[in-house]
Amino acid sequence: MPTNHAAHLPPLPDLGGPAQPLLSVRHLTKHFALAGRGLRRSRDVVRAVDDLGFDLRKGETLGIVGESGCGKSTTSRLIMSLLAPTAGEIVFDGQVVGGRALPMKDYRRQVQMVFQDSHASLNPRLSIENAIAFAPQVHGLARRDALARAHELLDAVGLAPAQFGARFPHQLSGGQRQRVNIARALALRPRLLILDEPVSALDKSVEAQVLNLLVDLKARYGLSYLFISHDLNVVQYMADRVLVMYLGKVAEVGAVDAIYGRPAHPYTAALLASRPSMDPARRRTRPPLQGDPPNPIDPPSGCRFRTRCAHAEAVCAAQEPALAVLAGGHAAACLMNAPGSGHRAAPVRRVEAARVLA
Amino acid sequence: MTSAPDTPLVHVRDLRVAFESREPGVATVAAVNGVDFDLAPRETLCILGESGSGKSVTLRALMRLNPARTTRMSGTVRVAGQDIASASEAQMTAVRGRSVAMIFQEPMTALDPVFSIGTQIAETVRRHEGIDRAAARRRALQLLELVQVPSAARRLDAYPHELSGGLRQRAMIAMALSCRPRLLLADEPTTALDATVQIQVLLLLRELQREMGMGLIFVTHDLGVASEVADRIAVMYAGRFVEEAGVSDFLRQPMHPYAQGLLGATVHAGSRGRPLVTIAGAPPRLDRLPAGCAFAARCDRVMPACLDAMPALAAAGADRSARCLLVTPPRTALAA
Repeated sequence: MPTNHAAHLPPLPDLGGPAQPLLSVRHLTKHFALAGRGLRRSRDVVRAVDDLGFDLRKGETLGIVGESGCGKSTTSRLIMSLLAPTAGEIVFDGQVVGGRALPMKDYRRQVQMVFQDSHASLNPRLSIENAIAFAPQVHGLARRDALARAHELLDAVGLAPAQFGARFPHQLSGGQRQRVNIARALALRPRLLILDEPVSALDKSVEAQVLNLLVDLKARYGLSYLFISHDLNVVQYMADRVLVMYLGKVAEVGAVDAIYGRPAHPYTAALLASRPSMDPARRRTRPPLQGDPPNPIDPPSGCRFRTRCAHAEAVCAAQEPALAVLAGGHAAACLMNAPGSGHRAAPVRRVEAARVLA
Repeated sequence: MTSAPDTPLVHVRDLRVAFESREPGVATVAAVNGVDFDLAPRETLCILGESGSGKSVTLRALMRLNPARTTRMSGTVRVAGQDIASASEAQMTAVRGRSVAMIFQEPMTALDPVFSIGTQIAETVRRHEGIDRAAARRRALQLLELVQVPSAARRLDAYPHELSGGLRQRAMIAMALSCRPRLLLADEPTTALDATVQIQVLLLLRELQREMGMGLIFVTHDLGVASEVADRIAVMYAGRFVEEAGVSDFLRQPMHPYAQGLLGATVHAGSRGRPLVTIAGAPPRLDRLPAGCAFAARCDRVMPACLDAMPALAAAGADRSARCLLVTPPRTALAA
C-alpha cells in the first residue's frame, strides 16, 4: 500500500505495546431519564448500560451479541463519545479518553464507526468522494490530498473512483453505500473500527461481499474491530472473542470457540439454541426461552436473566452474579458458575475451581 | 367450499404483476413475471428471495392487496376455489379474512394504534360471522390464548404500543386466524423479532398450521427460517421462480446457480476461517429486464444460449424444477 500521503496524516503510534488492551471499558453506565419535566419528571430511568466492563485487545475482533434493548448500540455510542456516560471511563491504549493525554479530537482520529443504516449515515448533499475527504480536511489535509486519499480508499473498498467518486448516496445500492461508509471510516487511519450491525440491512449475497471486504481491510490496515450484531452466525464468522450482553450487563465473555462450543451462561446457551437448525430433519421442537426480554426500566433484582431462566433458584433473586472466570478462557456472570454462591449447581469449594483453572 | 380434497388450495399460473407509474416518462416496473405454482391443503411453501425479487408482491397478489390504481395483474390465481383475478370487490372482502389471511413483518404498522387488540380481533370476527359483541370478545380471548399470549384476559384491553414485539406479532396472528382461514400468508413475520422470540413465533406458527389444517405460504429472505418451517422452497429472482424443490432436497443440493450462490453466501457455523462465496454484481432493474436469463449477467457459468431467451422452469428430477439451461438442457426442457 503506497503511503504517499502519510506525511500529511501519519499513522498513529502504538503506545503500550501488544499486551496492553487497545480499548478498556471500566464500570461504564448509561441511564436515560424518562420523558417529563418539572413536577411530572419521572424518577425512573432506563438502565441501558449498567456497570459494563471489558477489554478489546490489539488486532482482535470483539463481537457483541444480544437482543434489542440489551444495550449493545448504547455501548457503541458511548465508546464513540456520541453519548456522555452516566458513570465509568473508557481507556484507549492506556490513556483515558477525553483526558489531558488524549483529547477528544485525537481520540476521534483513532476510533471510527460504521452504522447499520447506510443511507441515513451519509450526507445526501455530498458526493461520496467529498464525504470521504471531509474528515481528513477537518484534520488539516489539503483538499487535493484529501481527495486523493478518498480515491485511494474507494479503490480499497472495491468502488472504482472514476466511476463512483462523483456520485451521490441515492445513486448507489445499499451494499455500495455501506462500502462508502467503510471507506469514510478509514479516512483518518483509525486503529479501531466500531461496526454497529454493519450488514443487517443488506441482502445475503451483498452481506457476504461486505463481510469478506471487512476481513480483508482488517488485515491490510492492521485494524481492530468491535463488531456488534444480533446475528449469531455472522458474529461467529467475524469475531475472535465474543461478549454476550443481557439487559445492560455482560452475561458471558470469551473466545469465540468457547462461547459457541461450551456456553456457560444459560442465556448464551438459549441464544445459540434459538438459531434455526438449517436442517429440516432436526427442527427445533421447543423454544429455548419463553417471552420477550424484560423492560430495562425495571430490571429483575439479582440476576437479570432469572425471570426467563430454567435454572433460576431463590438465591438468583437475592444475589447479583459477578463475572466468574472459567476454564477455557471465558467468564460468565451466573451463580451456577460461582463457587459457594448457594445455587445448587454451583461448584462447592474454591479449591476445586482453582484446580480446574490451573 | 367448492374444491374437492385433491384439488390444490392455491393454483397460480403465469401470474404477472406490473406497477405503472402515473407520471409520464417513468417506466413500468415488472415485479412478477410469470409465476406458476400449486399449494396443497396443509402444505407450507417458503418463497425465498432478496429484496426486489417480487416475493411480497406475489403474496399480496393472492389476496389482491397490491394498490388497484397502479397495478396491472394478469394470469390465473385460484385460492380455495375462488378465482381471485376476476372476483368483484365484494367477493374479495368475503375471501379476505375468511379463506385467506395475511400476517406482516411489522405488527406495529399493521395493527391500529387507537384500538385495543381485543377490539380489533373482535371486530374481525363480528364482520365475518355477525355474532354479538360479547360473543366476539369471548372469541378474541380464546384466540389470544390460542396464540399463547400470557395473561390473555388482561391483554385484551392492551393497545399495540403497550405490548412487546413478540406479543404484538402473536396478536396479529390471532387476528389473522380469527375466521379460521384455509390459507395463511406470512410476509417475513419474524424478521423484526429477536432470536429467542423469533423461534417461539416460528414454532407457534408451525403448531397452529398443523392444528388448524391450514396451507401456509411464507415469504422470507432467511434460509434458516425457511429450513425451520417449509415443506417446499421456491427461490425467486427478478420476479420469477428460478428453482422449486422439497426443503431437504434443496438444502442438500441446490441446482440453480443463483440458489447455489445464495446458499454459499449464507453465513453458518462452518463458514469460519474461509472467505464467503459471493454473487458478483446486483439484480437487474425491473423496468428493463433482459430478454434472456435474468441472472445471466451475474452467473459465472453463463453460455451464449442463456442470453437469447428466458429458460423455462422445467422438471429437474423427482418433484423439483429449475429454470436454468445447465440443469435442464433445452431438449429436456422441450420434452417436459
